[in-house]
Amino acid sequence: MGTGKSRPDFTGELFDKGKLFDKPEPLKGVRVLEVCSVVLGPATCDYLAEFGAEVIKFEGRKGDQMRYVTPYAWFWKGMSPGLEIENHNKYWVGMHVGNPKAKALFLELVKKSDVVVDNLTPGRMAEWGLDYRNLREANPKIVQLHVSGYGSWGPWTGRTSYDAVAQSMGALSSITGFEDRGPIKSGVWIADWITGLMCANAILSALNYRERTGEGQFIDYLQVENVIRLLDWTWLYSFKTGEDRKRSGNRDLAICPSDLFDCLDGRVALAAFSEAEFRGLCEAMGRMDLEETYRDPLKRLRDENARELLDRIAVWARGRRVEEVEALGCRHGFAASRVLEAKDVYHSDHFRERGAIQEYEDPLYGTMVQQCYPPVMSETPGRVKWSCRPLGFDNRYVLGKTLGLPEEEVKRLEDEGVVFRWNPDVPSQCPPPGWDGKSGVNIP
Amino acid sequence: MDDSSIVGLSANREYAKWAHRETNPGEISGKPEALDDILVLDLSHANFAGLFASSLLAEMGAEVIRVEPPGGDLARKMTPYGIMIGDAGMGYIVEGRNKHHVTLDIAKEEGRKLLLGLARKADVLLHTFKPGYLESLGMGYGDLRESNPGLIFTAIHTYGQFGADSEKGSNQPDYDIVDQARGVIMSVTGEPDLDPAVPDACKKPLKQGNWMGWYAGGAWAAFGIQTAMFHRRKTGKGQFIDASPPEGLMAISNYVMQYFHMSGRQMPRAGNYDYAVFPYTYVKCRDGFTFISGFSDPNWSALCEIMNRPDLRERFPSIRERLTPENQPTIQHEIERFTVRYTSDEIQQMITAYGKKPDKKGTVVTGRLETSGDVLQREHWDVRKTFLRVNDPDYGEVLVQNSTFKSMSRTPGRVKWVCRPIGADNETVYRKHLGLDRQQLKELKENGIV
Repeated sequence: MGTGKSRPDFTGELFDKGKLFDKPEPLKGVRVLEVCSVVLGPATCDYLAEFGAEVIKFEGRKGDQMRYVTPYAWFWKGMSPGLEIENHNKYWVGMHVGNPKAKALFLELVKKSDVVVDNLTPGRMAEWGLDYRNLREANPKIVQLHVSGYGSWGPWTGRTSYDAVAQSMGALSSITGFEDRGPIKSGVWIADWITGLMCANAILSALNYRERTGEGQFIDYLQVENVIRLLDWTWLYSFKTGEDRKRSGNRDLAICPSDLFDCLDGRVALAAFSEAEFRGLCEAMGRMDLEETYRDPLKRLRDENARELLDRIAVWARGRRVEEVEALGCRHGFAASRVLEAKDVYHSDHFRERGAIQEYEDPLYGTMVQQCYPPVMSETPGRVKWSCRPLGFDNRYVLGKTLGLPEEEVKRLEDEGVVFRWNPDVPSQCPPPGWDGKSGVNIP
Repeated sequence: MDDSSIVGLSANREYAKWAHRETNPGEISGKPEALDDILVLDLSHANFAGLFASSLLAEMGAEVIRVEPPGGDLARKMTPYGIMIGDAGMGYIVEGRNKHHVTLDIAKEEGRKLLLGLARKADVLLHTFKPGYLESLGMGYGDLRESNPGLIFTAIHTYGQFGADSEKGSNQPDYDIVDQARGVIMSVTGEPDLDPAVPDACKKPLKQGNWMGWYAGGAWAAFGIQTAMFHRRKTGKGQFIDASPPEGLMAISNYVMQYFHMSGRQMPRAGNYDYAVFPYTYVKCRDGFTFISGFSDPNWSALCEIMNRPDLRERFPSIRERLTPENQPTIQHEIERFTVRYTSDEIQQMITAYGKKPDKKGTVVTGRLETSGDVLQREHWDVRKTFLRVNDPDYGEVLVQNSTFKSMSRTPGRVKWVCRPIGADNETVYRKHLGLDRQQLKELKENGIV
């Protein structure tokens, strides 16, 4: 290796987590205005925020809907965990941008910003005089992304979408589930998260193009279409065969073997498609007869062959411990791993060393341990700096620092109700009980 | 196109028409491309995370050189039931888009030389080999950055390139099922643990039906690459990106980690229930399944009114009653008693009609649980050009999903061609980038290098 170092030393040094905060943030200097609620829009901006973008989030009087969406209606220090997960490193302003007085302030901010993201009903921003045409007038270089279920035009524009609607309308749910059982939606709001990720990709493309040319643009992004895009061979298969793609549980219909198997003490996910990997698996099983019959990967994929082979592996795995199968995978070169749960990842040295799980001290909520968005980057790693915030927490900071408004002016706007802070009667809008009134406050 | 297919159900017709003009799919080919100044080497090995990442960059205009071993990459054989179309399976034809396909045997010295030549010129190199493999050939990041300091070197693998599990698992290949298994989401996806009506044999982790580990992993890799490109445009600096697909899933696993941190408890598998928002579920209807929601108090009232079941509103008055694992199966079955009497279209119509009532209590949302065959017939996707149907000279009549970046007003993403046969672009690529002539290529071919 060109560095004269062994691989683990070289990568260990390159990605040294101890230097996380010494390294630059790749999106520093990019200001994003978030006119979003729920998961998809906020997640889009969250991905950018953990890589250094300055995200200013606007909420109406009721606040983001996720302030009230929380498992078992359970709150932690007054905060909704549902709100926490897609909102990090952001600045929080209570201001309804459709209010005529707020609109002027918003357009002033647009002049000093790079990106505007909204996930409102398509056309809502236009009703307020804040669609791309208006934004571009204020700032010709602005990039605006609008995301909704079906987009800004077309026969179904205006129909409401949620994560589970996108999973069902995009046919992800119809292909998820066991063969002889009903469709199952993902255990998480997957269509929100992955659509947000593709939105962030679209924004980064637009920013890269803007670096080259100085030109901004408008992006219309469709959540349901995004789910459709991610369904690999589904559409070509249905087009060619005239058949619906069927549910097949954990069995992969295009890779064999690839499935989840019961063991003595748990379950193991296992795959071995190449001839060499399959040979390794047969060696591990002591079943070289299978290798002879099923060497050819394409032959293995035929339905009756796949079923027989998977049955053989299932019988073998049933008498093994998970750890044993994992170790055989490492030795013989096939893929094998247990199913990880939240607590496994939480306690894993591996993920902490990689910065995939980060621990930090939040001035409002104390010690936090959570995921940081991937990928792991050697020069410009992502980082979690702070958690979600009460409604309107950063009004003064944002209006003071970014627009240069003096404190008395911000106070006047608050008195007029143009900008506002948390309602003390709604705990999940408020700082945690016992907050000292100072911790976490950003000074303009 | 007539107005109604553009403005649809829009609350703002003028906006819809404007948006259509800005993002008209008919005008894409005349517009510029966002990333047409970058060169990407895609060395993905039997891996759709890598292939999807380079597809996204290629849709945005990057020049992607897809390097396969002579004989073709194993990913070409990852196809349902073994159905091949020419030299490619159905998965590969979808992600071969816009890529220049060359072959190269990098296990041979001569092949490595060619790869080094390409890597010197590339902006991005992307691979999915086992950690340490390229390094053992003298083509790790440490080697390549010497001749190309701006290189964005991207490695995709289940266990990542460093860390305790990486050292242990680096002889394992990267597969979607294992990426999903290690990505936490699978542990909470599947039939509900706490529903007595579900047989025990079904109570186990379930993968997302598609290659979600690979596709999410690839989308994160592309996100990292574009972020690194943005940084490089300002500083000239390249870097090493370590993209582990399971980390791509665990990072978006809702609140399961946060809830564990805050309460010390784990979430069970909820099936089609949801312990943070309910009703928000799939219900049986006369012609299959449909989604139905009515989560907040006003929306729940609306749903109960549509079903004419005021008793349910009284029995489950607040989210505290509606979010318990004990009550959700009951609520589900009560809703289904209503919905099984109607088709998904009829339910949709009832809900739309209710939404227009001046005294409506709230909003109920529905959406049919579509099969893949249903989706292919919908006018909306036809009008938005969600699918691309082409008669390809090598692969015949095929249909693939279009770029979802196609509705960018200035630099729309696009699909220029769907796929190429093994080694089809050897001559043009090696001539263009390395100046090789026919004779030299012929020799390389005879030696089994390309």
